Amino acid sequence: MEPTRELHGTISDLLDRVLDKGLIINADIIITLSGIPLIAISLSAAIAGLETMLEYGLMTDQDVNTRVRDRKLAKERVALQMCN
Amino acid sequence: MNGNGCGRYVYCVVRANERLSLGNIGLDGNEVYTLSYGGLGAVVHNCSKAPYSSDSEEVVRGWVIKHQQVVKAAQDWSGTVLPMRFSTIIQDTDKESADGNVLRWLADEGNEINKKLDRLQGTEEYGVQIFWEPKVIAGMLSITHPEIARLQAEIEPKTEGLAYMYKQRLERLLRQEVEREAERYFKDFYHIIKENVAELKIDGIKRDGDKQMLMNLSCLITAGGTKPLSDELQKIESIDGFSVRFTGPWPPYSFVMG
Repeated sequence: MEPTRELHGTISDLLDRVLDKGLIINADIIITLSGIPLIAISLSAAIAGLETMLEYGLMTDQDVNTRVRDRKLAKERVALQMCN
Repeated sequence: MNGNGCGRYVYCVVRANERLSLGNIGLDGNEVYTLSYGGLGAVVHNCSKAPYSSDSEEVVRGWVIKHQQVVKAAQDWSGTVLPMRFSTIIQDTDKESADGNVLRWLADEGNEINKKLDRLQGTEEYGVQIFWEPKVIAGMLSITHPEIARLQAEIEPKTEGLAYMYKQRLERLLRQEVEREAERYFKDFYHIIKENVAELKIDGIKRDGDKQMLMNLSCLITAGGTKPLSDELQKIESIDGFSVRFTGPWPPYSFVMG
């Protein structure tokens, strides 16, 4: 399986990286970033159990927050899928 | 002073010893060049002190693409690169010019920056997303899971009211078991992928059209060493109900903090 490098098909992957990741500078020499609209990313269901992930030591605090957010939609989403 | 030129938009940091121009490849066609101190170069363009902010998704997208192109150009030229987050602008302060603040940042953080560059040397970042179809998994459970199979068989001949109750019970059980399967697959795939990369990070699940995402990872791999991972991803792709999206190489955005 070859990785995709083509920019057109990977724009959302690029946005995730450039907007949310990368090195940041915490100092008073930085202009505070404000007003960048959050590109709406609707969260799909994260089905895998949060508890299991924690128990497995697979998560950092940042991961936990992300998963908690995802988890909120999990059950409803599965239910919707089951009914269709 | 708020005029043009009092900010330095920082794209990334590379190893560099002198002022080098990468040409007018920056945002808004600005000249991109390096400001160096102690063997480290901040790749910058001169800007005003306003953050790059817009209501237009289209505009932001264009900027982000430009940002990545500059980081990639710096990487092609210099090798290992530490990419900055979008719109990182170092400004002038009461005591110091913008250039001065950039150089002082390189001096103060030089040790940490060098450590990160050393760590990331010769590596590349890749994105791995695994999608799945819960209905396919549910279908398999209808055959392999005794109670689910039994409930399904028993609904058939029942009267309307009873059938409804059985159906509710079946759906509840299916949801529970499908969730369990998701956990199992997540763990299995995580371990397999972990064994075939140098480092990995779990990213948030996102929506991608109709497809349901099971996991979203960023992986750090020694350059040229993607075959073991891509072989495993190929195997996952061929499992009924699963598909894989493999992107990269990326500059190491996910591995520059911490």
